[in-house]
Amino acid sequence: MRVNRNWRIIVQSLTLLGFLWLFLQTEYRGTDELAYPVSLLFRLDPLALFAAVFAPGDSDLLLLWPALVLLCLTMVFGRFFCSWLCPLGTLLDFFGGPFRRASNSFVGWPKAKYYLLAGLTLASLCGLQLFGLLDPLSIFLRSLTLAINPLWNQLANGLFGWLYQADLPLVSPAADLVYPFFRDRLLAFRQPVFLLTLFTAAILLLLVLLERLQPRFWCRNLCPLGALLGICSRHSLLQRSPLTDCSDCSLCTSHCRMGATAGAAAQSAECIRCLDCLDFCPNQRIAFSFSKGEAKGFDLSRRTLLVASVSGAIMAPLAAAAPLTGTYRNDLIRPPGAVVEDEFLRRCIRCGECMKVCIGGALHPDLLRGGAFSLWSPVLIARLGYCELDCTLCGQVCPTGAIRLLKVEEKRKTKIGLAVIDRDRCLPFARGEECLVCEEHCPTGKKAIVFDRRKVLLGSEPKELLQPRVLTELCIGCGICETRCPVSGISAINIISEGESRIPLRLL
Amino acid sequence: MLDRRQFIRKSLQTACAAGVAGAVPQLLLPPAASAAQNAVLAVRRGEDIPRLVRETLAAFGGMKRFVHPGETVVVKPNIGWDRAVELAANTHPLVVQTVVQLCLEAGADKIQIFDRTCNDPRRCYVSSGIQSAVEQIDSKKVEIVHMDRRAYKELEITDGKALNRWSFYLPALEADRLINLPIAKHHSISTLTLGMKNLMGVIGGNRGMLHRKIAESLADINTVIHSDLTLIDATRILVANGPQGGRLEDVEVRNTLIASPQIVTADAYAATLLGYQPQQIETIVAGHQRGLGEIDLSRVKQL
Repeated sequence: MRVNRNWRIIVQSLTLLGFLWLFLQTEYRGTDELAYPVSLLFRLDPLALFAAVFAPGDSDLLLLWPALVLLCLTMVFGRFFCSWLCPLGTLLDFFGGPFRRASNSFVGWPKAKYYLLAGLTLASLCGLQLFGLLDPLSIFLRSLTLAINPLWNQLANGLFGWLYQADLPLVSPAADLVYPFFRDRLLAFRQPVFLLTLFTAAILLLLVLLERLQPRFWCRNLCPLGALLGICSRHSLLQRSPLTDCSDCSLCTSHCRMGATAGAAAQSAECIRCLDCLDFCPNQRIAFSFSKGEAKGFDLSRRTLLVASVSGAIMAPLAAAAPLTGTYRNDLIRPPGAVVEDEFLRRCIRCGECMKVCIGGALHPDLLRGGAFSLWSPVLIARLGYCELDCTLCGQVCPTGAIRLLKVEEKRKTKIGLAVIDRDRCLPFARGEECLVCEEHCPTGKKAIVFDRRKVLLGSEPKELLQPRVLTELCIGCGICETRCPVSGISAINIISEGESRIPLRLL
Repeated sequence: MLDRRQFIRKSLQTACAAGVAGAVPQLLLPPAASAAQNAVLAVRRGEDIPRLVRETLAAFGGMKRFVHPGETVVVKPNIGWDRAVELAANTHPLVVQTVVQLCLEAGADKIQIFDRTCNDPRRCYVSSGIQSAVEQIDSKKVEIVHMDRRAYKELEITDGKALNRWSFYLPALEADRLINLPIAKHHSISTLTLGMKNLMGVIGGNRGMLHRKIAESLADINTVIHSDLTLIDATRILVANGPQGGRLEDVEVRNTLIASPQIVTADAYAATLLGYQPQQIETIVAGHQRGLGEIDLSRVKQL
């Protein structure tokens, strides 16, 4: 009987399902305020806590206290989070399983993650926050938002659509019967489409494929959260004995998914308390107990640790030496409530919650608009979707305060950019044709787009036309005009970042 | 056991069969109403909206004139914008509620309410108050639904002037009765949003494209979509910053309902409420030329 293993798999499955359920609730469901704490995963995340605490400005620690609880629990029970709760770990166990080899002599670099953590922490302290790129919880939710969920919707909608069109006997009526359940509970309101879907998917796939090299390759060698929990776990109360393989048996070395008993590892920091060894030990010699055993040292190379820390510390000024985005481009539109750019990048942990919840499908992961280290942070691409006037959902889900929670009245006045008309392509200007779509959709009460009645000459033929004009002081940059502009491809009215509320006027 | 060759052959045969089966059922639609009918119109005023709706329909002899027992009905209000009731961007929820109740009383078997909105559909359905008003009716025969993405189909517009094909929402075309419930609104400088424009809510495609030849395009669309009753909500009207408004200053209370079986007749009268002659509104002129109703109000019989 593998009692412990079965229990663990049950807990892992339930936790994963729980987080998936929260993911599905990360959506407008008829009330302005979300009913559930959908970003719970990141409130539990000590790296998100670090990012928030290291950033300038006030952090709402009331939001992030669960992360402290997790750290405390780790000091008692060890690195249990990695084997019982972490959704990325669960994905690697479940989907990486088939790729794993029966026996494996690859040792890996278990210390690398500590050096990585040191580098990331120093970089973050000095002003360049990169936790988000490697935070396993961010990787999980980002992949879910940008890759898995769009794929699932594509497949399900494709199938239901085809069955609806083909009208097959028996099958189609059955599909119609279950469709409302899928539509209302499991599918997104509209097909999610995102930039960087392939790239994000490729990284998740890579992590799964690395299981071939070694079970839990990511967790053993790279995961910075694993490293942090490992450090807390080293002197935890719950410890395994014996620390290493017994002299007459080396099953632990070959079976332990973390290689926790292998010579080079600091056992108490690597062991993720999955309790599998209780099951596979043929002699029942292994025990987990709250007795204080002597912990084995970390055995990190001081020199490497120093190099990693210094590299991290140097990355920050290096990154800061680049020209500020706002000084040479104007297409970086951040969500409403976003704090000033420098603080924004230091707070945003690239979790993708805001992109998931965005009701207009306007928020997309950035590649380079915000500079070299803006990868996966949210940008508003108004041609693909607009910011709904009375919606405040992105501020509600942001776990680190990168997007502040705005009241609806505040939100209506928050300028995220400014619409400018491209007269070379706008129909009334460029072709002398009537068009009123941008004005029609402009939501600001007193409209920020008005018409001027002008007499124009089309060749020699005089024509009276209504031509749109943007009122700079009223436009909030919501982008609905750019989304709905009927010209094909790039819009004839575009949102630029000029006049954003988050930049105080005196800095312009 | 199938070998690989057989498997491929079988698969291809099945796929072909399914493809053919999918293509066979063709839509047979009744032609749009001709203008031969006598133009009739009912206008009623009053503050109690449910009563006003009932009085307006009573002018025609009640809802049973339009909806018969056992029929399926689509009620198409304007739910286009994420705006509260008092801002007059969407049809008043009590108008929708009462019309649906009247359909039930007339014996309708199934009533669907929907609109292809401009803002996010979920927010519009909630903010407009229409979702909760319909759900209050609490009848199994009534449902307010979001547009089913599978149910759009591209159709020929045989008599189209600006368009010869467009994507339409089949449930609106296939229902026995379509009741059009627009709200009278200012829409940019010289156009109005009335009945004909409201039916843009049951078409697919990139609707912004239509604005380039809006009058002829709307007339084209309206030759395909036949509505049995147009009931224009002018209980309060938006006189500026339409069609979505957002300021109470732009709303005028008029306590009026306008009903006609012919969409253009109703629109023509409603235009006068907003201070225009029907002949000034290109869409109404184009609709009249296609035989969708009477533009000359002196030739309309007021009930």
